[in-house]
Amino acid sequence: MMDLDKIIASLREGKHIPEETVFRLCLNSQELLMNEGNVAQVDTPVTICGDIHGQLHDLLTLFEKSGGVEKTRYIFLGDFVDRGFYSLESFLLLLCYKLRYPDRVTLIRGNHETRQITKVYGFYDEVVRKYGNSNVWRYCCEVFDYLSLGAIINNSIFCVHGGLSPDMTTLDEIRTIDRKQEVPHEGAMCDLLWSDPEDVDTWSLSPRGAGFLFGKQEVDQFLEKNNVELIARAHQLVMEGYKEMFDGGLVTVWSAPNYCYRCGNVAAVLKIDDDLNREYTIFEAVQAQNEVGNAIIPTKKSQMDYFL
Amino acid sequence: MSKRNTAPLRSPGINTVQINAAREMHAQTVRARRMPIPAGSITASSMTAPVAATAVPPRHICNNPNNPPCVSCGSVIIPSPRATLPLEDNPSISINDWTISSRKKPILNSQELDVWETEKLKGLTLPEMIFGNNYIRIENPRLDWSIEFNALDALKNVQLQDSGIRVAYSNDWINSKRKQNTSGTGTAQRFSNDVSADSLNIIHKYDWTYTTSYRGTENSPESRFKLDNDQTLPLDKLAVHDKILFYDDMILFEDELADNGISILNVKIRVMNERLLLLSRFFLRVDDVLVRVYDTRLYVEFDENRVIRESKEYEGKYHDVLAKHRLSQSHDPKAALRDSNWVAQNTPMIKRECETIQF
Repeated sequence: MMDLDKIIASLREGKHIPEETVFRLCLNSQELLMNEGNVAQVDTPVTICGDIHGQLHDLLTLFEKSGGVEKTRYIFLGDFVDRGFYSLESFLLLLCYKLRYPDRVTLIRGNHETRQITKVYGFYDEVVRKYGNSNVWRYCCEVFDYLSLGAIINNSIFCVHGGLSPDMTTLDEIRTIDRKQEVPHEGAMCDLLWSDPEDVDTWSLSPRGAGFLFGKQEVDQFLEKNNVELIARAHQLVMEGYKEMFDGGLVTVWSAPNYCYRCGNVAAVLKIDDDLNREYTIFEAVQAQNEVGNAIIPTKKSQMDYFL
Repeated sequence: MSKRNTAPLRSPGINTVQINAAREMHAQTVRARRMPIPAGSITASSMTAPVAATAVPPRHICNNPNNPPCVSCGSVIIPSPRATLPLEDNPSISINDWTISSRKKPILNSQELDVWETEKLKGLTLPEMIFGNNYIRIENPRLDWSIEFNALDALKNVQLQDSGIRVAYSNDWINSKRKQNTSGTGTAQRFSNDVSADSLNIIHKYDWTYTTSYRGTENSPESRFKLDNDQTLPLDKLAVHDKILFYDDMILFEDELADNGISILNVKIRVMNERLLLLSRFFLRVDDVLVRVYDTRLYVEFDENRVIRESKEYEGKYHDVLAKHRLSQSHDPKAALRDSNWVAQNTPMIKRECETIQF
């Protein structure tokens, strides 16, 4: 068996993990995730976390500010990879925690946990840069296919990355999806990872020509039909870290502070206690440089140039 | 982005998070503007000793009282904002009667977004990131003229009608829904209860690509620019590496198009002793569909009080542009399509206009 604690320590320092180790991590993770339902059952108290997007240092802050995995149960709502500089380390760290503390970590698939999206938005490039080939990316994509599509906390709070789907409006229907595949371009599985709440009267087509928007009515119906009181989702940047909508029936949680290293937003996690009370913890981005001016995070910032 | 119905509750007063956030933002903005200092060239003591006289005597005035000394004028002005709350970061420089200033702040918060969405930009679903308090402004009070580049006016230029552009897989998506909707069995039956045919029509009509041909906001209701397409920018003068006295580079808005590409408006400016150049670039990439680059370059020759504004629009099909990269070299073709400079150079120009003001 692998020494998970050792790997975790390396990951936390952003150190290189051998390809062979990643392979075994991914294989073990698949075996573990395979046994979870499409909608994972989770008990309170639990802390819900939104998008991470490869911001490893901010993920470490998240654990630090919210109790740490030794003492706290977590649900991550997906989008672990892309955009940031440490997609691989962030994802592997979460996998290690999942393997090390299986009952304390639930990982839900986000729309970035797909082959197609990671090829365009950074994760693939990052792996090729770090390993000289794409094997590690391929291993991770295999894991993506096994991630749950949602979670239900104490039968009362539904967690999902994007939002609702008109194709499947009950939890039991969602449980019937064959999730072990690349996220398709349409259908319930796609909607759960992609759709957005909006101020609309009914299910509406996004102006982009694909994807649904849903409003208060759809949320209210879902809550009533499934006897739950809240939908917790991520997927959209919120300056304040979280935003409740539809009379508190839906919340967006965002956990990537200073998103893309330039937005200046704070991040949040949502703790649900045994009485289903909601408590938000706000945290901010780590400094890009340490006291002596060495870069902790490589910056994308443009330097002064003689542009024409 | 979605409607901001309920603003999250914040306790009154300034909390620690905000103060720290402000400090960090302040540090970031200052760092972002700082020119890389060559190793060993400038120390605290060398800052106070004037550098040997340069050929051109300095004539610019740095309008920020807290700036580090301008070392008349061997070193670049590094506009130094004062650490106050609310954070004030507003560097500015004057040359002759021309004053150039800029401001950088974080993206709009929920309260601000609410006002923009319900009042200032009614009908537009706002892009994900709006740096709505950022601007670059060029003004000349004596000539009673100014021009500013900001996100609000840029977004006012976005069409409030269907652009006709669809993501690559739109047809497949809609057809699969239609099929589901008309067949009448099993899950499809349930589906048609929830989704009417109307749901497959676009209700929010606006250009989701946020394409804007924004060229800046003049202070006068009527533009002082005169169209003169025979004019060109004096590239010979701009190619000279005169010392840059003031530099800034900022995003005004950005949207990831729900991971179907990118739409971004960026403005940057460099001010030299005799002239300035500003580039406002709108860059759009809809994956597998199209690319657009709309550039506006603004040039001011201070001593001549002459302004030239050149606007170029480039547009091409995604795969046509991608093919050009394959012809040249093929390391990571898609990386090229993330680089607006490469795209601008490899995409056909569909429109060019040049305007001038001679005061």
